[in-house]
Amino acid sequence: MKTRAKAAFSVLLVCLQLMFFLSLTGCWDSVELNRRAIVSGVAIDRGPNEEQKYVISFQIIVADEISGENSRGVSPVTLYTGRGRTMFEALANASRQTARFLSLGHVRVLVISEAFAREGIKGIMDVLERESDMRLTTLFFISKGQPAIDCMSTLTVFGKIPSNDLVEKLETTSKQFGYSYKMEVDDVIRGIQTIGGGPLINGVYVSGARSKADTKKNLETIEPQAIIRIKGLAVFKDDKLKGWLEGEAAAGAALIRNKIKHLPVIIKMKDGSYVSCNVYQSQVHIKAELTDPEHPVFSVRITQQAAIKESSNDLELTDPQVLKDISVKIAEVTHQQLETAIVSTQKLKSDVLGFGEVLERSHPRGWKKIRDRWSRIYATSRIEIATEAVIRHTDMRTDSFQVNKPE
Amino acid sequence: MNIRIGLIQFFSITLLFELGTALVVNLGLEAGKDAWLSILTGTVIGVIVFMGYAYLYWTYPKLTLTGYTRKLLGKYIGIPVSLLYIILFLNLAGRDLRDGSTMLAMATMHNTPLFIISTLMILSVAYVLHKGVEVLTRTSLVFTFIVLLIGIFCTLLLMLSGSIHLHRLLPVMEDGLRPIAAAVLQQNYMFPFGEMISFTMLMPYLSNVKKGPWVIAAAILTSGLLLSFTMALNISVLGADIVSRAPLPLMPVISKISLSDFIQRVDVFVVMVLIIGVFFKIAVFFAAAMIGISELFGLPYRRMLYPSALIILFTSMLDARNFTEHLEEGGRLLYRVYPIFVLLIPAILMVLAAIRHHRSAPRSG
Repeated sequence: MKTRAKAAFSVLLVCLQLMFFLSLTGCWDSVELNRRAIVSGVAIDRGPNEEQKYVISFQIIVADEISGENSRGVSPVTLYTGRGRTMFEALANASRQTARFLSLGHVRVLVISEAFAREGIKGIMDVLERESDMRLTTLFFISKGQPAIDCMSTLTVFGKIPSNDLVEKLETTSKQFGYSYKMEVDDVIRGIQTIGGGPLINGVYVSGARSKADTKKNLETIEPQAIIRIKGLAVFKDDKLKGWLEGEAAAGAALIRNKIKHLPVIIKMKDGSYVSCNVYQSQVHIKAELTDPEHPVFSVRITQQAAIKESSNDLELTDPQVLKDISVKIAEVTHQQLETAIVSTQKLKSDVLGFGEVLERSHPRGWKKIRDRWSRIYATSRIEIATEAVIRHTDMRTDSFQVNKPE
Repeated sequence: MNIRIGLIQFFSITLLFELGTALVVNLGLEAGKDAWLSILTGTVIGVIVFMGYAYLYWTYPKLTLTGYTRKLLGKYIGIPVSLLYIILFLNLAGRDLRDGSTMLAMATMHNTPLFIISTLMILSVAYVLHKGVEVLTRTSLVFTFIVLLIGIFCTLLLMLSGSIHLHRLLPVMEDGLRPIAAAVLQQNYMFPFGEMISFTMLMPYLSNVKKGPWVIAAAILTSGLLLSFTMALNISVLGADIVSRAPLPLMPVISKISLSDFIQRVDVFVVMVLIIGVFFKIAVFFAAAMIGISELFGLPYRRMLYPSALIILFTSMLDARNFTEHLEEGGRLLYRVYPIFVLLIPAILMVLAAIRHHRSAPRSG
């Protein structure tokens, strides 16, 4: 009797175990690769009314065109647009047009139109944070004076996927010759939350003939008809765009945020000729003094290292004094950059450069008293700048060659 | 009680039990960016409380909690109290099951029914316990290595991808001690270290009476340091605000890993840590309840295994309509119910044991 019961029990157990195989065959959530539409970039524009507030365009990779024998020679990416009262509704409306599941796990860039940014981007951010497929490493851009969709519908020369091209452009410019640096989703969220300040976001725009940008003709001419360019830094106050930093001011802002790797500096000498230098290292230290709580004083100290890249004049670069003079001039240029950056953000009354955080870290008590009025106080606070530059070397030549130099 | 479990195994299972769900959730965030300090404080309190349990264990090295409860309180109070403890352990197991499966559903499996995830998880736990507590502790040894390796790997990757900004932890104690104290009082003195009460049921298996509790205390300290480190890491990557709003902060933290666009999307590691942690948490509570049941009712340990698994499964499913409700209820339990079982009753037992020991000592000597 007992053995029979035992046998029955073990048969039951085996049956149970076999049943588990049923649940292991396929996950509920699996979506095979050939049923996915991988989104590489997203553009968000402001629609005409509240019903269509969010106009989201998804740049979707056509996998067959990227690689594989089934390529039909059509565009490597495609664009679907959805509209809605919320981000999620717009996304749902867009995915109704596609044959496959929109897969948001590989979104590399997110472009928001300037018009929308001026109105405020808070409504956009929540879904980006909440959605578990999205990654925080998605890069943010503000489309400068153009609809954001233009950046998504421009074919690019390098790389078949325009979004990847934009990412690579940002990476290259942030490593060389540029003030733009990576701004990811969480940077923007933290930026929005900084008291009296906001995020600093890269600007992007399409130059050239925008009407021809979305056809393959853009790539057939040697000189592309339209090019995506990264330019300017958008200054936000809370979640609203207030203005742009360009050129010197943008470089200064990136310097203060310690994000610059390489920066060209052009100096005008007394005789009117130019010397080009490459600043390849800058280190910033910001200190805050809070003797009078209403008037904090900041000191920005920056040390830079540079190399001479171009000097087509008769300067004697073998003379240390000459190099010293040039480095003083580099310091002056940097001083100018920092000052423009600070003055222009003070004018916009937005502490995007992070002085408030410095104050909070060094004087937490005093900070608490003034943080409600911080943007006003920032606009009038005194910021002292001390710059220092060292020229480390003159590259492969010392003096420049001279035409018919008499002995 | 013929089974003897070595010290290393006990160390590893304590470590995994404590890291469990606590590693992936936002722990002690009432203290803002000082969460790591409140976890450290909680650890110290946890060790002190555990030394109380250790005192009881040293007094009765052969008995479980339910065993000496009956010895100290007598039959008529002892049996109901032991029963309450068994219910507590089953309830804790059910709550952790709900925690784990909901987190999995939130993080990765959006369409899979919660019931299926829970069923698979509780069945795997029941299977291991069917093999015995010894097997459970040996399994934990393997998984401790995996969890630690994942931890080291992820920390290295975060460092290399330059996402760690230690200044986000500054200024330390901006608002003084009060937020830390509040966080400790609300959460950290009970969670996760108060849950060590379940180990009073396992400790009779210790192979070394003298050293055993010290090894477990060392494991509590280690896990406290690891938890504190992880929370500091989370905050230094994302900032205190995002961490406090994320139910699973480790997921977005890991998603920041990107090494030259080549090594990225390693969030599967977090899911692994989550599953491993939840598994051992449920397993320890479940084992504690099973040992209690078999001892109290004189039933063989394995016979009640699957019925109890069903009970745990259904408590976990019926416990709340959504995760928010579940967490809110957990907060209330943590405040009002658990301290009775974790602090009050053991304290009474300790006093009684001390009195009895004191009385009987001269006679024996």
